[in-house]
Amino acid sequence: MGLGRLISGWMGTVLVGALLGFVISAAIGVFVQDSGLFGASGESPIARAYMLGLLERNPNSIVSIRPNHGIAQRAAELQGADTSRNASSITPLSLTYIGGASAGMYQVHIYAVGLRNAQGVDQFFPLALTIYGGKVVRSE
Amino acid sequence: MTTLALFALGILAGTVAHTFVDQRPKDNPYAALPKVEEPRVAHEVVEAIGKDEPETLAKLMPATMLTDLDTALQPIIDVRTTKFVGAVESEGRLLSAYVVTGKTTEGADIVVGFVLRVANDQVVGVN
Repeated sequence: MGLGRLISGWMGTVLVGALLGFVISAAIGVFVQDSGLFGASGESPIARAYMLGLLERNPNSIVSIRPNHGIAQRAAELQGADTSRNASSITPLSLTYIGGASAGMYQVHIYAVGLRNAQGVDQFFPLALTIYGGKVVRSE
Repeated sequence: MTTLALFALGILAGTVAHTFVDQRPKDNPYAALPKVEEPRVAHEVVEAIGKDEPETLAKLMPATMLTDLDTALQPIIDVRTTKFVGAVESEGRLLSAYVVTGKTTEGADIVVGFVLRVANDQVVGVN
């Protein structure tokens, strides 16, 4: 057997092992996150980033993790965010990840948000995010 | 033996690579409320949903809330499982969160989340 063939065989073995290691780690990670083992909350980084973008009234920070919108809609969102920021109409008080679950490609993550509005009234409401394909496809 | 060692080395490398690629949620700069136990009234509502008992549900919620619940469960029409994921409380207002899996009209499996608002031992809203 030639040396080149031997080395390519070794590299193939390492690559297959690496692929398997990566997949196993990812699967274990999803299981641990969903089950809450070892103190894992199960919270998705995408969901957290989306919620922070909402509370900071920064549509630009979440543009990559939500479905694509038309240019007019994006411009309207930026206007709304600017108005909201300038008026300081709301003050976020709390952001609590309540929990979530996944089924197939879909993930649901539920938050509780505490806000103080311009009149000084505290509001406390939930928000459920549905994530599909790495994007927040539903928020209610 | 060499092949096995190389394979193990590959698995190790793959695991290490995953730890670098895997993202963790950003830090939460806001306060997080402590979790509380599931309110009994909310549990009864979700139990009726899980057992497909519309008669029980009709006794537990007014028509407006049933409409809100229907909206929250969309597009599921056939509930398969219900799961309590957590509850939090702020100044006597309690939010009890659930995840429901089921089938759509097209027969596709889907998961949705909804939240029951509870105050004074009563379900006062659905989101």
